[in-house]
Amino acid sequence: MPEMIACFKWVIDEAYIRRGPEGELDLSSVNYKISEYDRNAIEEAVRLREAHGGSVIPVTVAAPEAAKGVKDALSRGGDRAFFIADEAFHDLEPSQTAAVLAEVIRSRIPHDLILCGEGSGDLYAQQVGPRLAEHLEIPCISFVQKLSIEQGRLIAERKVEEGLEVVAAPLPALVTVLPDINVPRIPGVKDTLAAAKKPFVTVKRDELSGKYEAHLATLLVRATQMERQCERFGTQPEDVARFLESLRKKGAIGQKGG
Amino acid sequence: MAGVWIFSERYEQLLELLNAGRRLARSMGTKLSAMSQLDPEKAATLFSHGADAVLVLPPLSENPSLDAFIPVIVAEVRKEDPDVFLLSATLRGRELAARIAARLNTGLCGNCIALEIDRDDGALRMERLVYGGAGLQAVTCSSRPAMASIPPGTFEPAPADGEGKGVVRTLPAPPPSAVQIIERKTKTSRGTDIAEARVVIGVGRGFEKEEDLHLAGELAEALGGEIGCTRPISAELHWLPEEVCIGLSGLQVKPDLYVGLGISGQIQHATGIRSSKWICAVNKDENAPIFAVADFGIVGDLYDVIPKLIAALKN
Ligand SMILES: Cc1cc2nc3c(=O)[nH]c(=O)nc-3n(C[C@H](O)[C@H](O)[C@H](O)COP(=O)(O)OP(=O)(O)OC[C@H]3O[C@@H](n4cnc5c(N)ncnc54)[C@H](O)[C@@H]3O)c2cc1C
Repeated sequence: MPEMIACFKWVIDEAYIRRGPEGELDLSSVNYKISEYDRNAIEEAVRLREAHGGSVIPVTVAAPEAAKGVKDALSRGGDRAFFIADEAFHDLEPSQTAAVLAEVIRSRIPHDLILCGEGSGDLYAQQVGPRLAEHLEIPCISFVQKLSIEQGRLIAERKVEEGLEVVAAPLPALVTVLPDINVPRIPGVKDTLAAAKKPFVTVKRDELSGKYEAHLATLLVRATQMERQCERFGTQPEDVARFLESLRKKGAIGQKGG
Repeated sequence: MAGVWIFSERYEQLLELLNAGRRLARSMGTKLSAMSQLDPEKAATLFSHGADAVLVLPPLSENPSLDAFIPVIVAEVRKEDPDVFLLSATLRGRELAARIAARLNTGLCGNCIALEIDRDDGALRMERLVYGGAGLQAVTCSSRPAMASIPPGTFEPAPADGEGKGVVRTLPAPPPSAVQIIERKTKTSRGTDIAEARVVIGVGRGFEKEEDLHLAGELAEALGGEIGCTRPISAELHWLPEEVCIGLSGLQVKPDLYVGLGISGQIQHATGIRSSKWICAVNKDENAPIFAVADFGIVGDLYDVIPKLIAALKN
C-alpha cells in the first residue's frame, strides 16, 4: 500500500496584497492559506489512498506561524504530518526548501510517491518538486493532469507544449500536479475536529545537518503598476450607449462597431 | 571557458534565447553557445542567428523523454563552466531547468521576464513576477552558473544576420530516462493567435454553461475580436483550449481593447491583460477586483448586458 507525501506551502493570500504609496507591496493586512495547487496535491494523494489504501503525509517547511496550515492539511485528509519549522525558514528560496525537504524525507519518511503542486501561489517558481526529485534521485513527472498506480507503477498524463504525454515510471517517484487533476474537497467541521486529534511531528532547524545556503539575493520587490480610469456604468440602454461612446472617443473601437 | 549558454527543445524559443543571450554575451564580452535537440543541419542555422558555438543532443531512439539528457547537460556545464545558462520556460524546460540547477547546486530565476548585466558590478540582474503578478522581484545569483528560465515569447526571435559558420558538436547519447513515454497525444491548434489580436474578449466563470459562450462569440464578431479566457474556463471546465488562457500561467495579451466578461479579475488573470491599451469589464459584483484594473466597467449581469452591447454596436 502506497505511502504518499504531499508537500505544501503556507502562503500569503495574494488577494489581500495592496500597493503602498511608494510603490512598495503592502502586506500589512494579509491572510495566509495553503497554496492553491498544493491543495490539488493533497486531494490527489487522498484519492489514491481511497483507491489503494496506504497513507497520506502532508509535509511543509515554514516559519512557526504555519502551524495553522498543518492543521488545515490534516483536515483535508492527511493521516499524520511533518512540520519542519523554524524562524529561519521565513522566505526560503526554492533551492533551500527542496534541500530541507530532501533531508527530512530521506531520513525520516518512507515514501512511494511524493506529490507537489505545479507552482506556489506566492513565488510560482515551479522548482521545489523537480529539485526535490533530484536530491532524492527519483523519477520526476511534472504538470500532471491525470494519475494512477497500476501494478506498482505510476501512470501519469503530463502536459507538454504539443499536447499530452502518457508516461509510466517506477516507484518511488515525484509528481507535480496541475489544477485540472481534481477539485479539492472543502473540509467540514467534522474534518477540522478530526484534524485536531491527528499526530504531527515538528522538526527544528538544529535537528538538520545541511547548511542550506541561498543562491539568490533579492535586490528589490515592488508592486507592479496598474493604473486605470476605473469608470463605472449601469445597464440601461442609455448607459450602454455612453459606455460605447467612451470607447469610441478613446479610439478603442471604430465609429461603427469594431 | 565561461560564456552564455542557452537551451531549448524548440527552434522558435532557441531564436528568442539567442536574442536574449546575444545581448548578455556582448555586455559581458564573452561567447554565446546554443544547445539544442535539432538535427545537426538545422542546428547549424543557429550560427547565422548569433550563436558562436552549437551543441546538439543526439536523437533518442528508445524512449524520447527529454529528461534523459539531464546528466549529459550537467556534465557539459561542469566541464565548460559557463557564467550564465538560460533555458526556455516551456513546460519541459521549466522542469529541466529546476533539475539541472539542483544538480549543479546553483540558483535559478524561474519564469524570468527581464535580465541585464549591471554596469557597475557586472552582476546579472534578473526580474520575475511574484504574488500572482502583484509584485516584481529582482534577483542576482551568487553561484555558477546563474540560471534563468524564460517564458516563450518574452523576447523577439534573433534575426538571421550574416552567414555565421561553425562546427556543430554532438554530445554523447545518454541512457534512457526512468520515465517511459507510452503515448503522445498531439492537440490540434485552432490557429487563432490572441497574443497578436487587436481586440480580445475574455470569458470567465460568470458564464453558467458552455452553450452560453455564443454570446461572447457574437460580441467578438461585432467588435472584430478573438476570444480568450481565464484559467478555470480552460483548465477545469475545458470549454476553451489551453492556448487561449490569459494570465500568469497562460498568455500575455496586448490588444487595443480587452473586454472581460464574468471575470473576477484576480491578480493571476489581471497580470496577463496589463499591457492592453483599454480594459473593459462586465461583472455583476460591483466589488469584483476586475473593476480596479479596468478603464470602463459595466456593473451588471452579462446575460442582460451583452445582448444590449451587441444591439447597440449593430445600430
Ligand atoms: C499560481 C496560480 C496561477 C494562476 N494562473 C492563472 C492564469 O494564468 N489565468 C487565470 O485566468 N487565472 C489564473 N489563476 C486562477 C486565478 O486565481 C482565478 O482563480 C481565476 O482567474 C478566476 O477565474 P474567473 O474570473 O473566471 O472565475 P471567478 O473568480 O469565479 O469569477 C467569476 C466572476 O463572474 C462574476 N459573475 C457571475 N455571474 C455573472 C453574471 N451573470 N454576469 C456578470 N458577472 C457574473 C462574479 O461576480 C465573479 O466575479 C491562477 C491561480 C494560481 C494560484
